[in-house]
Amino acid sequence: MFEGKFKKLALSLALGCTLLIGGCSGSNKDTVYVGDIEVSDPFEGANRVISDFNQGFDQIILHPFLEGYRFIVPKPARTGLSNLLTTLQSPVSFANQLLQGDLDGAVTTLEKTTINVFVGAGGLFDVAGYEGITVEKEDFGQTLAVWGLDHGPYFVVPFLGPSSLRDYSGYVVDSFMDPFYWWANNDANDEKWFYGKTAANYLVLRESLMDVLQELEASSFDYYASVRSTYYQNRAAMVSDRSPGDFSGSDIPDYDDF
Amino acid sequence: MKNALLIGLCAFTLGSASSVMASQITISESSKSSSAHSLLQFVSSDSQITKGAENFVINMAQRGIDFLSDQEISQERRTKEFKKLLETSFDMKTLARFSMGRHWRTATDKQKKEYLALFEKMIINVYSRRFGEYEGQKFDVRQSRPEGKRDHIVTSYIVPEEGQEVQVDWRIRYRSGKYKVVDVIVEGVSMAVTQRSDFSAVIQRGGGKVSVLLDHLRK
Repeated sequence: MFEGKFKKLALSLALGCTLLIGGCSGSNKDTVYVGDIEVSDPFEGANRVISDFNQGFDQIILHPFLEGYRFIVPKPARTGLSNLLTTLQSPVSFANQLLQGDLDGAVTTLEKTTINVFVGAGGLFDVAGYEGITVEKEDFGQTLAVWGLDHGPYFVVPFLGPSSLRDYSGYVVDSFMDPFYWWANNDANDEKWFYGKTAANYLVLRESLMDVLQELEASSFDYYASVRSTYYQNRAAMVSDRSPGDFSGSDIPDYDDF
Repeated sequence: MKNALLIGLCAFTLGSASSVMASQITISESSKSSSAHSLLQFVSSDSQITKGAENFVINMAQRGIDFLSDQEISQERRTKEFKKLLETSFDMKTLARFSMGRHWRTATDKQKKEYLALFEKMIINVYSRRFGEYEGQKFDVRQSRPEGKRDHIVTSYIVPEEGQEVQVDWRIRYRSGKYKVVDVIVEGVSMAVTQRSDFSAVIQRGGGKVSVLLDHLRK
């Protein structure tokens, strides 16, 4: 049983590595700059098609569905679900923090999760958050970035949206790092639990992004380019762990050629 | 006097190796008084400007919150007030110029003029909409620092009744006695950089023609 999973893991890792090496040798033509960040987008044509599809799916199916979700499920329940999922995801954050050498972060994650599990009704209430303990969600994509790996090529994933080879490979690795995954795949349990959790994660993520994406759509001419730009900036911010003194955007010259 | 004693002590304990060091220290000591003075003056005026930038952001936000949360005034009046606030607080020309990037140089004077006007109109529309959704969240300025050669970053948070706070960093430029916003960075995402990505994609896909961007802006 586990053997098969390991095979899948090894396979996806091997695939990821091959693509990463291939991705690094992209030509300059496919490179755009987002501030100081170099973005390689060799598959822009295909990406734009998937992006258009996603935009249509969001508009016609997902966002109306999420509006309904917001209407039917009261805010405290939605927040509770989000908190619970954060708690379930915390072993993955914890492991990644250790892999990044971020001991302080790992301790904070442990502290927050313990408080929320025992005082916050098994993670439904973010008691620690009220006490001012906030943690970053860490994923393996960020860990690879800390280890010095570039994004590789940009990818738009169907139904999900912007990603890169590095970040998407990281996402696959994260699911194997998740104890919940191994628990659900245990013979005594049902694999459906894991799919359920993945679906719930998708719901919470997309709900949290809905307003931002709608605003971006309304205020940009080239939605694809704007999403790509925002994605790379946001990921860079997450990799830097958003220390408050860190954000500065791009340097803006003192122009005199008006 | 005390310094000389200290240097002497160093030279004594460390032997010959420190004599070079001691002479170096003496040189820096002799020039210290004048350079330290000017350095101090520089630092204090710089930190004064940073503090000024912080106050500028606080005042701007307060002005905005005042009329956004005022139920008495009409929507029309609110938009007008907001326009005035943006015009006086944002460095529209710099923002516009940055957003156009290298394509600026290929634009004709007529195009530049039209672009600047259209850009300002667009920014006012976008920000009116964004801030129009204000629901009484707390605005909290927590720190500020000088950034690069020209600018100051003021870090603020938008704190909702419940849920995650949102970090908003303001890049403030101080020029000829005035503070102006040159960038707004929300959770690490710079509005200026995003705008530039958008515009340059439009121009590039339009065959490098600035007129294509102007067509979009006119709509």
